[in-house]
Amino acid sequence: MKIKYFSWIKEITSCDKEILNENNINNIENLKLFLSKKYPNLKKHFDKDVLRFAINQEYIANNIVLEKNDEIAIFPPVSGG
Amino acid sequence: MIIIQKKDFNIEKEILKIKSLHNNIGAVTSFIGYVRDINNNKNVKSINIEVYKKMALSELNNIILLAKKKWSLIDCLIIHRNGLLKINDKIVLVASFSEHRKDSFESCNYIMDYLKKDAPFWKKENYKNESIWLKNTN
Repeated sequence: MKIKYFSWIKEITSCDKEILNENNINNIENLKLFLSKKYPNLKKHFDKDVLRFAINQEYIANNIVLEKNDEIAIFPPVSGG
Repeated sequence: MIIIQKKDFNIEKEILKIKSLHNNIGAVTSFIGYVRDINNNKNVKSINIEVYKKMALSELNNIILLAKKKWSLIDCLIIHRNGLLKINDKIVLVASFSEHRKDSFESCNYIMDYLKKDAPFWKKENYKNESIWLKNTN
């Protein structure tokens, strides 16, 4: 699956996208656990529940199942306009 | 029509492009957002706008569809810029086209509110010695 990071999230990850092929990442909660280990500075933001997730360009609110071809975007609240 | 672009645009030309397609337009309400020189008591030198373009096009399309269900609209126009913008540069134009003013006034406000809340754009303000990503102010 492809993970995309935006705004200050990509400064924590030092990349704006990456491909993950871990078999045990099958939902958003697993993805958060994986990324919290890979990027320890992300954990506190996941814990505060301030970040937003989109799967294939649509916002998600629940811990939905992820497919290997999904594009998952992780970003802070938006600030356009 | 939804456009996300780096370059500047001419407000009147863009509105007239849509107006010229419909003879039944009696009202146009527009909102234009600009880059300000001072924000949170800091002197802003420029801003960078990042966008998740594919999702932004989809989200903005959704809101236009919702607005068209709530109000009697003939057309809608959203132009949002991304990239490096300087003070006084235009950031966004939203224009609603209808027969009567109430539909255009209310829908323009609604579209702008939704854009601020959900459209995936992020602003970073550049000051003399630092840059800061802005929080959502709605």
